[in-house]
Amino acid sequence: MSPEFYQKIAETNQWGAIAPELALGILALSLLLLEIILPKVAHGAIPRIAILGQLAILVYAIANSCSGACVTGEAFGGMLFFDATGELFRVFFLGSSVFVSYLGMVSLEKKTLPQVEYYHILLVVTAALMLLAQANHFVMLFVALEAATVGFYILVSYFRHSVVSLEAGLKYLIMGALSSAILLFGIVLLYGAGSNPALEASSRDPLNFGNLEIFLAANSGDMLGLLGMLLVISGVAFKVGAFPFQIWIPDVYQGAPIPTTALLAIASKGAGFAMLLSLVQVFSPLSDWLVPLLSALAVLTILFGNFAALTQRNLKRVIGLSGVSHAGFLLIGVVAATKVEWATTAVMFYLFAYLLASIAVFAVFAHLEKEDDSEISLDDLGDLAKKNGFLGMALAIGIGSLAGIPPLAGFIGKMLIFVAALEAELYGLMAVAVVGAVVSIYYYFGILKSAFFEVWHFQDDDEDAPEEAEPGASLQFFGKVAILAAVAGTLILGFYQSPLSSWLSGG
Amino acid sequence: MTDIFFYIFSIAALAGAFGVVFSRNTVNGAMFLIGTFLSMASLFVLLEAYFLAVIQVLVYAGAVMVLFLFIIMLLDVKESAARKTSLYTWAASVIGFGILIVGVVAINSADSIREKAASLPEATGVSLKSFGYELFTTYLLPMQVTGFLLLIAMIGVIALSKKAKAD
Repeated sequence: MSPEFYQKIAETNQWGAIAPELALGILALSLLLLEIILPKVAHGAIPRIAILGQLAILVYAIANSCSGACVTGEAFGGMLFFDATGELFRVFFLGSSVFVSYLGMVSLEKKTLPQVEYYHILLVVTAALMLLAQANHFVMLFVALEAATVGFYILVSYFRHSVVSLEAGLKYLIMGALSSAILLFGIVLLYGAGSNPALEASSRDPLNFGNLEIFLAANSGDMLGLLGMLLVISGVAFKVGAFPFQIWIPDVYQGAPIPTTALLAIASKGAGFAMLLSLVQVFSPLSDWLVPLLSALAVLTILFGNFAALTQRNLKRVIGLSGVSHAGFLLIGVVAATKVEWATTAVMFYLFAYLLASIAVFAVFAHLEKEDDSEISLDDLGDLAKKNGFLGMALAIGIGSLAGIPPLAGFIGKMLIFVAALEAELYGLMAVAVVGAVVSIYYYFGILKSAFFEVWHFQDDDEDAPEEAEPGASLQFFGKVAILAAVAGTLILGFYQSPLSSWLSGG
Repeated sequence: MTDIFFYIFSIAALAGAFGVVFSRNTVNGAMFLIGTFLSMASLFVLLEAYFLAVIQVLVYAGAVMVLFLFIIMLLDVKESAARKTSLYTWAASVIGFGILIVGVVAINSADSIREKAASLPEATGVSLKSFGYELFTTYLLPMQVTGFLLLIAMIGVIALSKKAKAD
């Protein structure tokens, strides 16, 4: 290979096209620098700088998202592929990280833990997830995924004084390493199959999604290819928490600090589906195997998530297991996307509705002012609506949207998935999804019941009990804006879907 | 000449592997493992895969083995007395050995593999130069992301392990 050949590849490194990711990386580094430069009294400003910086990047990303002049197609020597879906995932991850930074500000303020490092790692994780959503090559996919996962290991065990947090970190480390190993093994098998010169349509760079798709189309019966596909899908199923790879979810969600739980619930799930949506495209020649596999995963995931959540009383476990069932609904959308083109839009809409609802719910959890945030149970919600009406309203809208109550955004999201499944003629999946949705209403309304209806108090006990902080005591301006935006977004998307859906479909 | 070297290094690699399995002292076992890695690296040299050979020595015989020795030191493993082999161990080793035999026999008896192998273009080892070119052109972005990965790993270790502030 001549140097000229490499020069030509190097010219495809369009750094301008990944400006949001670069800006996040620079912001992350400058946070560390600021901690050195600024005097100790001014350190409280660093989280605010992080949030404002991310908001600026978010505005830039929205303003630049495919207004006709954006770069589309491959770049970075085939590492990345820019399209409308990638742009949307950028906005999705940025939105979730702005919110998680705010939650971090709320829950880290009272602790004697290193503060700035949390935001630094969070920003790097977000940038990695944004690259992951646009990856067009297994090397890029794996490196970005590992960068995000290593960040998650640290963020999960960040409250190192809490045994539960450390335990969650260790569990996540072991399960995450196992799933990465499975994914990597699958990638290696695909590489071995795709670069075999004895087979038709093999290529020098079989890890490129386009090349691999061509290879698989020519050799759809190749055992190595099939096994590789199975292992890669299993590895990704770990990340989204699909059955039978969901065992880590309840413990890790419970032990992780609230901001990290929110990040896991929103961004990690979104990243898994970003990968799935592009992998379904790559593996489309194997759809005879892929569709039954994903359908079975979806059915088991919906049933397990909903029925396991019924008996839980710890709020983070309930939300974690309900997240498992949401992954099941999204999997139906992914299966439908193999047959109906607009199902991708339905999945994106569902993810955005889920993002907004989760923001409202997690913001309420963070403001319950519990000392040990791994032990928030249904009882801690007692009389929330009476003590703080604003948080009660946010919880009602958020939970309602997660449960899929009309006229909230979550309902429209579920409906879009159902219609997509109907068009793709997946009647069995639809039936299971309806059962799952009905079961989920029981535990979602259990949460609302304990927040809105009077709890029985023994009057004499209350006098001895130490005074607990009122819920919402630390609610700040940022938090009110975030909750209001999430609630308003959930309501508006329930009535007017056309702006988002036209934006989602790249119009 | 190459054949003789091949047999010498293969025997050395096998001897090292047996040493790992049968040595009672864990540190001795680790040393035998280094011997195996070095012989494997020599085999790669014979295959003209120089880059792989260098990586084998640097990463496995170097970095990974240091890690092993650290863990042995931290766990403070005593020289283990002869333990009773459990039924599971027996079953696992018999099954594993069986699979190995089946694999070797299958490869040796299948003519189709040998015919195919003869018709294949000769594999060329990646030269260090082209590897470097690739790393800094095609794979530039993943490499930069890896840099960030190592950075957050380092910062994470510090953040998780440094002593709480006095105030």
